[in-house]
Amino acid sequence: MPDIKLSNGVVINFDNSARTLLDALEREQLEVNFHCREGYCGACRCKLLSGEVNYINEPLAFVRKGEFLPCCSVPVTDIEIEIP
Amino acid sequence: MAYTTFNRQINDQMKEPMFFGNPVNVSRYDQQKYGIFEKLIEKQLSFFWRPEEVDVSKDRIDYQNLPEHEKHIFISNLKYQTLLDSVQGRSPNVAFLPIVSLPELETWIETWAFSETIHSRSYTHIVRNISAEPHKVFDDIMLNEKILERAEDVTRYYDDLINGINLYQRCGEGTHSINGETHSISLYELKRRLYLCVMSVNVLEAIRFYVSFACSFAFAERELMEGNAKIIRLIARDEALHLTGTQHMLNIMAAGDDDADMAKIAKECEEEAYTIFRKAAEQEKDWAQYLFKDGSMIGLNKDILCQYVEYITNSRMQAIGMKAIFPTTQNPIPWINTWLVSDNVQVAPQEAEISSYLVGQIDNEVDGGDFGDFDL
Repeated sequence: MPDIKLSNGVVINFDNSARTLLDALEREQLEVNFHCREGYCGACRCKLLSGEVNYINEPLAFVRKGEFLPCCSVPVTDIEIEIP
Repeated sequence: MAYTTFNRQINDQMKEPMFFGNPVNVSRYDQQKYGIFEKLIEKQLSFFWRPEEVDVSKDRIDYQNLPEHEKHIFISNLKYQTLLDSVQGRSPNVAFLPIVSLPELETWIETWAFSETIHSRSYTHIVRNISAEPHKVFDDIMLNEKILERAEDVTRYYDDLINGINLYQRCGEGTHSINGETHSISLYELKRRLYLCVMSVNVLEAIRFYVSFACSFAFAERELMEGNAKIIRLIARDEALHLTGTQHMLNIMAAGDDDADMAKIAKECEEEAYTIFRKAAEQEKDWAQYLFKDGSMIGLNKDILCQYVEYITNSRMQAIGMKAIFPTTQNPIPWINTWLVSDNVQVAPQEAEISSYLVGQIDNEVDGGDFGDFDL
């Protein structure tokens, strides 16, 4: 089970009970912006500081290098992220 | 170069830039320079909806019971959205189609503009339902100073680009004397106008719509005007996709691989881009003030709405690699997000208090007599 490390030091374990990274973050009461939750609006964009994520659905929104969309992805390795 | 509807020049479409290369000849999608635009087209088609599918009849009673200042909020927003979609239903076609060079992008522009025409038709659907005199609502749009002020900034960049293209395609680069007036145009200047135009469209779809959206959803949170909210939700879903389209265009332009001039222009226009965002945010805050001039509504007031404008402006700017310009970092109305979730747009009819039934498939008038011939 990969760990999600936030830039403020908090660490969350990603177990398979969460469908996406966004679900996992929300379960921990972390506030992440979101709109469509389907990868086409890009509102949930976060920074991926290290590690690797896998997209359940390839996002349509523009994702710059070093960014990812938590609404349609799961971690493959331990990851370190920054929520804007 | 003059526009032609079917360019006879045999070209490799994979080597054309997005804009200002050869006009498109064969609309082919077997090969694509930017596959994202085809994906956006498919998504947009999967979103297809018609205003008549949404039952807004309960809204009429809700509207009649609204206090005057809330009626003002509701109807003013509808008028403003009508203006925005009037512009968006035609302008991408008129401005971008004569200069586009990729078939997938050309078709995306057409698909995008078409969906805006659905939005325009839905406003008539809503207004007809709540007002016995819909013409008064629409007639006022052309007379309402607050709306016209916005129209100026929404249309200016489109008009500059369209006028420039007309001149360029008729006379080419250089200084031309037309009807006694001197006009100059260069391809570089046209590209600059294009960049600013796309930027201003991005702002329109990213910020300008959202003040109205927030008000519509605030009514619906109180279980008022729910048919309208259902329509606005469908519109918001489309707008999010259009926004992704313009964000892709801007990012491709800024990267410079597509057209080196555009990357240079993106840098040169950076300050102007900030100004476009800042000005739109200020105008939307003014609009919030106008909406709430006679009183607030439950759950929303001018200050909260202004904070939301700042919040969403920051987030939209960061999406295209710009820096946030407002100190606001928290969404003051987090409940709006649930209204913008794509999943929630489709509801099973049996679950919905919201009127999402297809017209003609269900009879809204039911009384005891309808069960008269039932036997158990």
